Amino acid sequence: MEMKPLKPSEDDEKAAWVESLVDEYEKPLCGYAYNLLRDPDRARDAVQETFLRLCKEPRSKLAGHEAGWLFRVCRSRALDILRKEKPVNQLSEEQQAVLPSDTAGPSEQAQQQDLMSRLPSLLNQLPERQGEVIRLKFQQHLSYKEIADALEISVSNVGFLIHTGLKTLRSDFNALEGAHS
Amino acid sequence: MNFDPENPNWTAYALGELSENEAKDYEQEVKTNPEAAAFVSEVRAFSQQLEDSLQPETVELNPEQRESVKAEAKKKPKGKLINIPYSAWGTLTAAAAVLVLVGVGFLVDPRTVQPYEFSDEEIRNAPSRQAPMESPEGYVAAKPNVSVTPSSATVKEPVQARKQISETERMEFGKQLSVADSPASNPKIDTDGIDSIGTMSSPMVMTGLFAGRSAVGRRSGMKIVDEGYSNFSAISPSIEHYDRITGNVFKRTDEHPLSTFSIDVDTASYSNMRRFLKGGQLPPKDSIRIEELINYFSYDYPAPDGEHPFAAHMEMHPCPWNQDHQLLKVGLQGKELAVENRPAANLVFLLDVSGSMNSANKLPLVKRAMRLLVKQLGEADRISIVVYAGASGLVLPATSCDQDEVILAALERLSAGGGTNGGAGIDLAYKVAQDNFVEGGINRVILCTDGDFNIGTVQTGDLTRLIEDKAKNGVFLTVLGFGMGNLKDSMMEELSNKGNGNYGYIDTFSEARKMLVDQLMGTLVTIAKDVKIQVDFNPAHVAGYRLIGYENRRLNKEDFNDDKKDAGEIGAGHTVTAFYEIIPAGIEVDGRPAVDESKYVQAPALLKDADASEWLTLRLRYKQPDEDVSTKLEIPFAPYTVDATPSQDYLFASAVAEFGLLLRDSEHAPGASFGAVLDRTVSSIGTDKHGYRREFLELVRNANALK
Repeated sequence: MEMKPLKPSEDDEKAAWVESLVDEYEKPLCGYAYNLLRDPDRARDAVQETFLRLCKEPRSKLAGHEAGWLFRVCRSRALDILRKEKPVNQLSEEQQAVLPSDTAGPSEQAQQQDLMSRLPSLLNQLPERQGEVIRLKFQQHLSYKEIADALEISVSNVGFLIHTGLKTLRSDFNALEGAHS
Repeated sequence: MNFDPENPNWTAYALGELSENEAKDYEQEVKTNPEAAAFVSEVRAFSQQLEDSLQPETVELNPEQRESVKAEAKKKPKGKLINIPYSAWGTLTAAAAVLVLVGVGFLVDPRTVQPYEFSDEEIRNAPSRQAPMESPEGYVAAKPNVSVTPSSATVKEPVQARKQISETERMEFGKQLSVADSPASNPKIDTDGIDSIGTMSSPMVMTGLFAGRSAVGRRSGMKIVDEGYSNFSAISPSIEHYDRITGNVFKRTDEHPLSTFSIDVDTASYSNMRRFLKGGQLPPKDSIRIEELINYFSYDYPAPDGEHPFAAHMEMHPCPWNQDHQLLKVGLQGKELAVENRPAANLVFLLDVSGSMNSANKLPLVKRAMRLLVKQLGEADRISIVVYAGASGLVLPATSCDQDEVILAALERLSAGGGTNGGAGIDLAYKVAQDNFVEGGINRVILCTDGDFNIGTVQTGDLTRLIEDKAKNGVFLTVLGFGMGNLKDSMMEELSNKGNGNYGYIDTFSEARKMLVDQLMGTLVTIAKDVKIQVDFNPAHVAGYRLIGYENRRLNKEDFNDDKKDAGEIGAGHTVTAFYEIIPAGIEVDGRPAVDESKYVQAPALLKDADASEWLTLRLRYKQPDEDVSTKLEIPFAPYTVDATPSQDYLFASAVAEFGLLLRDSEHAPGASFGAVLDRTVSSIGTDKHGYRREFLELVRNANALK
């Protein structure tokens, strides 16, 4: 950004505002879109469009709920893309046959320290909404309020989903841990 | 507020989501009700674990995409823009979809479409300058990839813009458009590769310790764990494997005037030791290879100016841990190579994607390390990726590094699972390296693994023979060790030794940066191979000597002139440092019983014409990277001043050596002390551009506290 000693114009301020939001939310948004789309390029497209859309928004209107707005637009972009296309990256049976299996072998199962890496797959077993809310909270680090904004649900609903999801995750994880020790 | 584990507010409280006012009641309850306190701390601990285990956010916008947003942000708002109420968003996307489909219908009917040629201007501006929005369906106008004009309908793609689109291609595009917004830029992985294919579609189930740290702190207000060490603080060395190392003993010069060893530029032992100490544990003795601790640091030795690829320097002072002895430092400085003179690289990454690599400090870190490397390389360089687990496969055939998108996308798809068949992967990787061999270039297989080979060729001996065999064809090897818990350290060191290679242990992102950015040239460009050192001591000055470290690099004196005997490689800009503790003449070489003199052979006597001032002669042998015949250098050493002040590098390197002796509990250095190590370290930190020496100081303090 150019440095201007005098009072910056409104346009410059706008550009700086967009840039700061890009800096702050680019990666969380990409991660979120990637979780929904499972394809980095589609995820990038969704995020780019979200930011392009942001450029057209008056700053004052979004003040205070930028994060919620960004995630909400990004989400609807991503879901739109999903609706329109079949899942990519489907492997043929032949290809799948040579893939390393997802299930851990006996030697790994003995390993306590790898337990943590099972959490994401436990997370995937949660009901969709719970999983999404938990990712927004713990992966994208949104607050309850921001999640509520993004998903257009109430804050108490967010609280309930997180509470329930965490409880299931914890008990699944503890069971797994118990089985290993 | 009475504690009720079923009340979602308790979870909200634990996560810091309640306002200060609301939280007061809960705080009170936590103070008095141990059940509540336990619940809250459990939720917090678990959330931290959850945060740590969620995949790093590795996807980010392309530079072009970022630029397009920037450009858009600078535009003045257009009068045509209709502000859509925040709450009306949901319905608009459906409208957008309809509009896109209209465009598609237009495309697939060849009769209505005239061949359309993009102007250069249009192609350049494709992503950012779209037809201005004409309708309230603002979404379409904001879309970068599709534009609809009255006379033609075309698809523009920011990266792979095409000038002329034939009718068939247009049909193709149309078809793709109906299923995908952005028709190209989805990296294709060549499925006709050499062997079976390992493209991964499963979600990355990797954990991420390194991403989003700042975000965690900034927005969720939860405790930040520095670097992630504490998640793994309990390291069980029992599953890790270290071969026993027996320290070199003092040798009598009159019996053994020659000391011979191979150089070693590995650094793995240092980062491995650091992992233990940062986690609050002393490292296992046998994991300490003193030469690797010393060579972890680079020293400021004068560069070579003659015909040889490296220069040798010697410096001797009273030994810090035994004032009766002298401590000789031998330093080699490899010649630097300017980045622009780096030959083209043909790098084959051999990635272990077995189940044991499935944790945050392994595969995800490998990926981050590879991203770093890809960024350093250019158009002339090729990268291939071979993965191995239960089966091995070519995930990415040789791809120019200017196509970093393709490379990074291939990386993105990797996930871990299954057992490890290292042998098959090594075979395939070397084959790929041979197929893409660059004459006079850098041809290197980079093996990233935790060394836990458990399927197929498992015996260290078999694997090393395999590597030794492969190394004969001019392909060098870099072994990057990752992770912990089941690190097979000695196996990996052995592999790199036999494979004309180097071995680094990567436990953190900074370590990856050190090897692949700061010291990239040294890691990739070998300037001399089979470098051997032989020191010929003069018994007139030296009664006995002991080589510090290099225990598994010792050679027989006959090996020195034997060009068939493998030895270590030195990379561009690398420094190699070794220490000899010297017992000056006149002092008894203790600790070993005297040997009976031979009845038949007279002990060798000092040559009459030997230069009496010389303490020793340093002999070096090396081969040019692509040659099989070695060159020899001889450098005599006669310390002309006795009371010269030690150089900063001497002080620091000797402190590292002493530290290593302490960690090894060496019986040969009873006088070594942490205090002395600290003193010398503090006085020799110097400019320490990358902070490595400061970090060392921390480790010494940790070890001191743990001993």
